[in-house]
Amino acid sequence: MPRPGLLFRLLASFAGVTTILAAEQPPSAVVPSDVAVEAVDYLRDVKPLLRSRCVSCHGPLNQAAGLRLDAATAIRRGADEGAVVVAGNPAASRMMARVLTHDPDQRMPPTGAALNDRELAILETWIRTGAVAPSGEKLAVSPRDHWAFQPLTAIDVPTVSDEDWPRNAIDRFVLAKLESRSWSPSPAASPPQLLRRVYLDLIGLPPTPEEQSQWLSELAASSEPPETLVASSAALPDAVAASALDRWYERLVRDLLSRPSHGERYARYWLDVVRYADSNGYERDAAKPEVWRYRDYVIRAFNEDVPFDRFVLEQIAGDELEDADGESMIATGFHRLGPWDDEPADFATDRFDQLDDMVSVTSEAFLALTLGCARCHDHKFDPLSQRDYYSLVAVFNPLSRPQDGRTELTLPSVPPARRVGLSDEALKQSPPGYFLRETSPTAPATHILVRGNPHQPSEEVGPAVPAILDSGNWQFLPPSEWTSRRRLSLANWLVDPGNPLTARVIVNRVWQWHFGQGLARTPNDFGFNGQPPTHPELLDYLSKWFVEEADWSLKKLHLLIVTSSTYRQSRADRPAYAAEDPENLLLWRRSVQRLEVEPIRDSMLQISGQLDSALFGPPIYPLVPREALESHADKTAIWPAYDPAAAARRTVYAFTKRSLMVPMLEVLDLCDTTRSTPRRNVTTVPTQALVLYNGGFTIEQAGHLARRLRNEAGNDWAAQIDLAWRLALCRPPRPDEQAAMLGFIDSELAHLRQLRGASEHDADGDAEISDAARTQLGRVVFNLNEFVYPD
Amino acid sequence: MTPAETSRYIPNRTPCGRTRRQFLWQTGGGFAGLALLDLLSRERAFATEAVGRSAHFAARAKHVVFLFMNGGPSQVDTFDPKPELDRLHGQTYSGPHAVGSNGRPIGHLSKSVFPFTNHGDSGLPISSLYPHLSRHADDLCVIRSLHTDTAAHASGCLQMNSGSVTIGKPSLGSWLSYGLGTLNENLPSYVVMTDPRGGPIGSASNWSSGYMPANYQGTLFRSGGSPLLDLATPLGTDDVTQRRSLDLLNTLNQKHLAANAGDAELAARIESYELAFRMQTAAADAVAVDHESAATLAMYGIEQPTTADFGRKCLITRRLLERGVRFIQLYSGGGHIEDTWDGHTDCVTNHRLHAGETDQPIAALIADLKRTGLWEETLLVWGGEFGRTPTSEGVDKPGRDHDWHGFTMWLAGAGVRGGQAIGATDEVGFAAVEQPYHVRDLHATVLQLMGLDHRLLTYFHQGLDQRLTGIEHVAKVITPALA
Repeated sequence: MPRPGLLFRLLASFAGVTTILAAEQPPSAVVPSDVAVEAVDYLRDVKPLLRSRCVSCHGPLNQAAGLRLDAATAIRRGADEGAVVVAGNPAASRMMARVLTHDPDQRMPPTGAALNDRELAILETWIRTGAVAPSGEKLAVSPRDHWAFQPLTAIDVPTVSDEDWPRNAIDRFVLAKLESRSWSPSPAASPPQLLRRVYLDLIGLPPTPEEQSQWLSELAASSEPPETLVASSAALPDAVAASALDRWYERLVRDLLSRPSHGERYARYWLDVVRYADSNGYERDAAKPEVWRYRDYVIRAFNEDVPFDRFVLEQIAGDELEDADGESMIATGFHRLGPWDDEPADFATDRFDQLDDMVSVTSEAFLALTLGCARCHDHKFDPLSQRDYYSLVAVFNPLSRPQDGRTELTLPSVPPARRVGLSDEALKQSPPGYFLRETSPTAPATHILVRGNPHQPSEEVGPAVPAILDSGNWQFLPPSEWTSRRRLSLANWLVDPGNPLTARVIVNRVWQWHFGQGLARTPNDFGFNGQPPTHPELLDYLSKWFVEEADWSLKKLHLLIVTSSTYRQSRADRPAYAAEDPENLLLWRRSVQRLEVEPIRDSMLQISGQLDSALFGPPIYPLVPREALESHADKTAIWPAYDPAAAARRTVYAFTKRSLMVPMLEVLDLCDTTRSTPRRNVTTVPTQALVLYNGGFTIEQAGHLARRLRNEAGNDWAAQIDLAWRLALCRPPRPDEQAAMLGFIDSELAHLRQLRGASEHDADGDAEISDAARTQLGRVVFNLNEFVYPD
Repeated sequence: MTPAETSRYIPNRTPCGRTRRQFLWQTGGGFAGLALLDLLSRERAFATEAVGRSAHFAARAKHVVFLFMNGGPSQVDTFDPKPELDRLHGQTYSGPHAVGSNGRPIGHLSKSVFPFTNHGDSGLPISSLYPHLSRHADDLCVIRSLHTDTAAHASGCLQMNSGSVTIGKPSLGSWLSYGLGTLNENLPSYVVMTDPRGGPIGSASNWSSGYMPANYQGTLFRSGGSPLLDLATPLGTDDVTQRRSLDLLNTLNQKHLAANAGDAELAARIESYELAFRMQTAAADAVAVDHESAATLAMYGIEQPTTADFGRKCLITRRLLERGVRFIQLYSGGGHIEDTWDGHTDCVTNHRLHAGETDQPIAALIADLKRTGLWEETLLVWGGEFGRTPTSEGVDKPGRDHDWHGFTMWLAGAGVRGGQAIGATDEVGFAAVEQPYHVRDLHATVLQLMGLDHRLLTYFHQGLDQRLTGIEHVAKVITPALA
């Protein structure tokens, strides 16, 4: 089979003949006249049509016959052999002839369905009415010039007019962009606002009232009286106080970054990216034995600030490293996290589905390339070929799954090189790990599959990295005594300074984790379909800095970002800016940003006093209402009975069952666990209100909070409300809020007393009624917008 | 909000030309369209691009009811009569296909014990399993030539629901919710009711929204008690307290909203609590079949133990359709093997049970939809994840194994030409041989009847414009089925 390029050149050489044939054939005879097409608009109708059916061969990536159809100017320029569109005359336009012909050797597009009547009518009408298109349409760049593939070069930090605002380089890039529009950044958030923001961001929990007063009084001692700080979110203190504030804030950030709960918060983001789950999905949806050790590995790596390049090496090739150890073996569980059908319809297809899972998640997680698109054919829009895809398949093909029929097996987490001479006893003493293995240094043959069909192998390919990124022809290492070392070679390339993507991709993710959106807003797709970064120079500057100055330290990157003035802005209301930049692309303020479900649930546990902060270990089983089990084939055994004490741990430890997501987590936009999730959806739907307002978990925690308030604030409603506010919102209630709460409590007490025929002089009965009213109070607090949308 | 305003289709097929609004649609829309509307209203002032909103075709149907016969009903015992099979009874199957799934015992060709009779003006043959449904023979468009890719229940159910045998893909109902939006404000747009004996294998992955946002997924409705999870006011809270506490929440949230310049996302969340409160009444009302007349309850068979559950679900279905629910899926059979249509050991007893549970309720639903006029806008789909072999499972045994090479489904209602059978299996009913249709063709047909072109209804994910009917294959609409 000739390569596509060749085929098109052959076809193109007949183009002249076709023109003549077409000219003799009035198109009205072929374009059905009964397909009514109203006024055709180039951008709305024509461009999307050409893009979906023509541009993969006639676009920025490939120009078969020298023709590009991705912009009107290019269409007018025509092919090597001349014009393809004659404005006003469809009959004389070669484009029409080629889409109308029934000759299979001539017809365009050459594969897939012919254009349908409506599509033909769109083209015909557009050409007949003069092939009009708006001016100013941009012509896409050549693939090699694509921003994401450019090497990281030294970037000058821009100069700015307002020298007082920037705290570090980040701010200068952001401010320069704002100043170019004569815009200014928003005022800084107040210290109490910052305190809550940075706690929830860095550890996923709010500061306790004790921590609040400790931090704020520390700040007061070093600068201003605390009343001013609490009451005002206006201007920054004067210059001296500002530096005291900065020193205080940096201490705060460093303290949070050093806490074990930081890893618990940030590991969850990474688990989204690597499609982590505790079960396989499909019919039996069996638990992945010991897979939680991978989750613990990630938490530990983040807490110990394992350099990101090392983190990549360990996950891709932790068994092949010279200094491989038990932890790096566990890390390679990365490859085995995906769904697995233990009774596949077709074993060959299933094998390639598993390899596809590995190729896709690796290329999306580390390179932000959707290489999975090239499984059946060359990528339609990115310069990634089917050969690139199968070259990566060749990297993972040596891996096999330890299994006994449908039962998955674990292996001792001992590197192959260290197994030699170890007794069975010694092996048994290492923790069991859930990972794939290479059983031989000789890799099996890998073939390109025709249209992705495992039963149609064609040319054999060896391991290689995507050609567009490989100017120096990356050398794959020879096999070791135990493994092929193909993954090690890939991992070495991923973290090689010559690879421009890995650093850009992780820096962009970290930015997103702090701001809700990345600098490039498609964090898994830096290809032509992705959105280019809003601040490309900043992304490049940070990426280079991350590798060269920070030595791939994520904590240094967190510190730099979180201490920037950009991060410390308030959520100011600026209608004129919002009108022009509603998505805050220019970072002129703090965006409205909802907490993910994990910090919501974890905060509720902390506030109610129930949070068990134990680290690591086998998963926990949050509440799944009995009704939610009814739709399951095996509704009795599918989920363990609820044990509130055991489940009162951070949500990152919750068992993620692919066929039965915990309803509260699922409804509140937990990630899709079958594929890499670059960013969670943020939906607002009434079922979320139902689960957070009526759900058993909320009622249970509201009850605990009620008892806590009574115990800690004494028999004084105002003090209880005050404490509830400080626990949940990290501030005292304002007078109008206090009044609304007290008014509610009064009516509620009266209502309950009347309902139960109780008297307020009956101490026991009234204590119960007070508890019931207090529980309602807690329920309302957990549902406040301010609770889930921190300032 | 009128149906016309909420009926929308976004041609999301331009790879890098996805507009911001389309992106919002992908990430923010759904359920009751609430978040999206708010986001759009925020955006309206800044909109620079016009986006087409109309469906591709005039829709023939506004609603779909998918009667899912979980486990796989036998075609030769229901809607695909095979006289040749009677003649060849007891002989060994000699056709080209491998018999049996997963190493189960292989028996001989085995005739149906359920005699077929021609019904209605059309003379459509239906077996004795369906005395009630037979009265509506002229409404049924039986497709006898379906085939699918898999012999396993889990992947079969996935394929029937999402077009793909792998998990993580949006289901048909999600595609319709995504493509058309909702018709109501107080209820989910896509409702699933499972069998009390258990759900289908793979449970929620069968009504998952896959890579689409969670608000497009099917919402599980229970036919008794509180229909939705966490719908009921919690124990110990009465209606007065519920309302008063929500008022307090609203008061406090409004103060916060005012301090945040009326941010649309915050406003949407406030509104979602009011919507949830209204839903408490609306959903409870939708399942309150006790208000129906005695005659209606009797028609659906709700007073007889055999038909009570499916009858109740069918009646609730009519009530949900009246309230603007777009896509309803009912499961007959669930849990373990013989509790579903999976008649491996005794297909005769099995099918007598499951057909007996569903025959009268389905017939009642058809009659009731005609009475209320909903028939003109509702498409009914009946079938399972595959069919059953014309051979017995084991020699001289009454069981039948899985058959994915050929099986029967039927369509009825809006836009469907009833009283006909399309396609054919071979002489014994094993494999589709005339006008074979893949499951994806069925999906293309359902989309077409709902006004959507399966080639153009796309969702951008992982670098590709994904489709319900897949991107590797070309599906075809089953045009003979269309009225």
